[in-house]
Amino acid sequence: MRPRVAVAAGSAIVLFAALGACGKNTGQGTATDNNRTTTGVIATDPKDSMGPAAPVPGATKGGTFYVLRQPKINHLDPQRVYSFAGLSAAPLYSRFLTTWKDDGKGHLTLVGDLATTPGKDVKGDCTTWQFTIKDGVKFEDGSPITSKEIAYGIARSFDPDLTGGPTYLQEWLANTPEYDTAWDFKANKTSLPPGLTTPDAKTLVFTFQKPHCDLPFAASLPFTAPMPPAKDTGVNYDNQPFSSGPYKITKIVPGVQMVLERNTNWDPATDPVRHQYPDSFVWSYGADATAEANRIISDSGPDASAISWDGVPSTLTAAVAGNASLKDRTLLEPTPSANRLTINMQRVTDLSIRQALNYAIDRDDLIKALGGATVASPLTTLMPPATLGYQQYDAYPAGPNGNPEKAKQLLNGRTPELVLGVADDDQDTQIGTQVKNNLEKAGFKITVKTIPQDSKLDETKKKNNPWDLYIDTWGADWPSGASILPPLFDGRTIKDEGNSDTSFMNDSAINAEFDRILAMPPAQQGPEWAKLDKRIMTQDAPAVPLYVDVAFYLHGSKAGGLFIGSVFGYPEFVNAFVKP
Amino acid sequence: MSLSPVEDIALSEFSPGTVAEPAAPGSGFVGRSPGQLAWARLRRDRVAMVSGGVLVFFFLVALAAPLIQWAYGTDPQQQFQDSLDLYGMPLGYAGGVTGSHWFGLEPSLGRDIFIRMVYGLRTSLFIALAAGVITTVIGVLAGVLAGYAGGWLDAVIGWVTDFALAMPFLIVALALVPTVSLRFYGPREAVPSSFRVAVLITVFALFGWTSAARLVRGQVVSLREREFIEAARASGVSTAHMLFRQVLPNIWAPILVSFSLAVPSYVTGEAVLSFLGVGIVDPTPDFGAMIFRSIHYLQTDPTYVFFPGVTIFILVLAFNLFGDAVRDALDPRSNR
Repeated sequence: MRPRVAVAAGSAIVLFAALGACGKNTGQGTATDNNRTTTGVIATDPKDSMGPAAPVPGATKGGTFYVLRQPKINHLDPQRVYSFAGLSAAPLYSRFLTTWKDDGKGHLTLVGDLATTPGKDVKGDCTTWQFTIKDGVKFEDGSPITSKEIAYGIARSFDPDLTGGPTYLQEWLANTPEYDTAWDFKANKTSLPPGLTTPDAKTLVFTFQKPHCDLPFAASLPFTAPMPPAKDTGVNYDNQPFSSGPYKITKIVPGVQMVLERNTNWDPATDPVRHQYPDSFVWSYGADATAEANRIISDSGPDASAISWDGVPSTLTAAVAGNASLKDRTLLEPTPSANRLTINMQRVTDLSIRQALNYAIDRDDLIKALGGATVASPLTTLMPPATLGYQQYDAYPAGPNGNPEKAKQLLNGRTPELVLGVADDDQDTQIGTQVKNNLEKAGFKITVKTIPQDSKLDETKKKNNPWDLYIDTWGADWPSGASILPPLFDGRTIKDEGNSDTSFMNDSAINAEFDRILAMPPAQQGPEWAKLDKRIMTQDAPAVPLYVDVAFYLHGSKAGGLFIGSVFGYPEFVNAFVKP
Repeated sequence: MSLSPVEDIALSEFSPGTVAEPAAPGSGFVGRSPGQLAWARLRRDRVAMVSGGVLVFFFLVALAAPLIQWAYGTDPQQQFQDSLDLYGMPLGYAGGVTGSHWFGLEPSLGRDIFIRMVYGLRTSLFIALAAGVITTVIGVLAGVLAGYAGGWLDAVIGWVTDFALAMPFLIVALALVPTVSLRFYGPREAVPSSFRVAVLITVFALFGWTSAARLVRGQVVSLREREFIEAARASGVSTAHMLFRQVLPNIWAPILVSFSLAVPSYVTGEAVLSFLGVGIVDPTPDFGAMIFRSIHYLQTDPTYVFFPGVTIFILVLAFNLFGDAVRDALDPRSNR
């Protein structure tokens, strides 16, 4: 017995010494570049929309590119794609009316994809938009893509069975949020929705009852992908979309993998952004984020030409960011996904309390609680820096750790009792603890109330929800203030359920500003949105801006041409290649 | 959650009829009660003494938690995020182990691990002991009633026991615990940790009493026909006297053993539920929740996993070893 006890004790000591010997953490590391801002233009020169795309330096043809991801992509049907994984994968197998030319450093140009230009505002009032389809664009079977197939794709998105996709075009064409009752797709399969016309095979015209200056942006979403009516299999189209892009889907094993191979009928001369470097792309599902990261770190076999889609888990960031040999295999960029502590203005009606919350917040420690600089980056504005025309400001300057004294001064001896609703998952309860401790230092009394995770979004979007504070995320569909501020703060849109204006702010002066700016040409809107952002924060303080998500990805040593997209903040594959 | 039932307990040693009469005076024999005999055997068992000592230490730590907090100078909710690097990992060696933070700091929230473990021990031991006592009391009452009364009462209690045994513990707990708090607290009220503790104890009580009940029933059935019971019945004692003065004192040994083996299974059971997120939740300190959080940091901050993991391991091992030793002491014939 004795020697065994000694051995056990000895090994425990050795183990502990080994833990200690892992080295001293002195706090060195690479910080995220928070100064990345987005500049964007809508291409006016038709040459910008012509192919082929500029070659990627060092890119070679051949090889198989792997993408590791835990769950499968929920929808592949372009009319239903809306998840970030889907939005990154869709350009490989489908083309849209317009698309973003993105240099991966924040410089965006909206160009025509299937169309020769990113749309022509026929009357100059944003109500009539005309697109001309390029010559030589083909489906995977070699048949030509005309305006009819694009119009059919858009018509199909009216089908209430094909849920999940964006709804901008449908709502704008039907001029009502209940677009599926305004125009019944199933009963009118051979006709087109109101306002959508195809005068000839090369022309597509949108006619709206109200001006929609953002149409060229909205047309870059996958729901403008073409589809021949004969290929429509309804809800089953998810299993085998008909390709118009540089790759076609050749094999899908549900929940295991998806294989895309070169589409020989795709003509690079027509495409301003996509390349066709790897022989094939394989999306491989199943491994969790930690397993993916460890596979990429070991960099062996097929994993050398892979990227882990789920990113570096926050618990592993210290090991990855601290490892200098991995530095040239990481992608680290702030994303446009903005997180804010929403203040329910129906409950917290006192402006000084909302301002005090803004002074009290400790963004620096909140980010540490989230997992640090490679997970989140502080934000003091409602719009993220990746918005066109963004202006940095801090309406309530309190330093990175907040200013509890200033907050107490505003509270003037009151101790507002507020309820913070958080989802009951691991990460959110932790954030709840963090925010509670933070705000209580400034004189608030915070009750953290957990909400079942699967219903949290639905519950907080209800008009009369019982909570005062909750954390919301907004990832805009295009980097314009028009897709951020009006959906989030236009009080005229408030309904009983499903609100995006979760602050329930309804300020008529601000609402009038929304209308004024939305009627301006998109190119001039940028600075106006930035001004309005500051005005909303100063006058109404409907939320506490917290942080933007930071994209932190690892890829194998043979994976090249990857960048973080400036529109969605996820890896983009249009330039991807496999190093020999 | 299986509580090892103690079978084959030698009852003869404890039955009044078999207690050895003191031998002739002067021959060097000393009269000892069965309890004294067991105690002497326990004292001779080194494993029992060591594990008992460890348990006493853990109990003292749990009881003295506020005192330790006062001496240590740190609150379990206090955050030391200034001692974290920009990834939220503790600065310094081995997960931030320093003179003021003995076991280091939690990554990201930056709370002190040592003081959270002291309070976590409190939560764990309180739930386990309370659940152990309640299940034993229910089990003994049900077992004695069923065994002594027999007939339809025995059958009904048997059915209820079978029913409780047939319910999948984890699934019921996963379904029950979150719903119960929704039932009792409004959408704006915080659920106090005492309520969650009570719910956990109730869940354990609902499921844990069955093995004690079956064990006790078996023992009582075998005692029921013994001569001393018949003698008591012949002298016309009341049922209560019969149960609590005649029957119960003779089955203390298996009850004690089943209790001492049940408690560690509640320690791990509570940790499992908290690990799964339905037990004790942050910010209340708890071993299960702590281990669940720490497991993700196995690669980047192994000390965070090490301290709570090793502590709960030692705690449960000590309970089990001590429980085994108690059984050996009470029933020397089962000694291998």
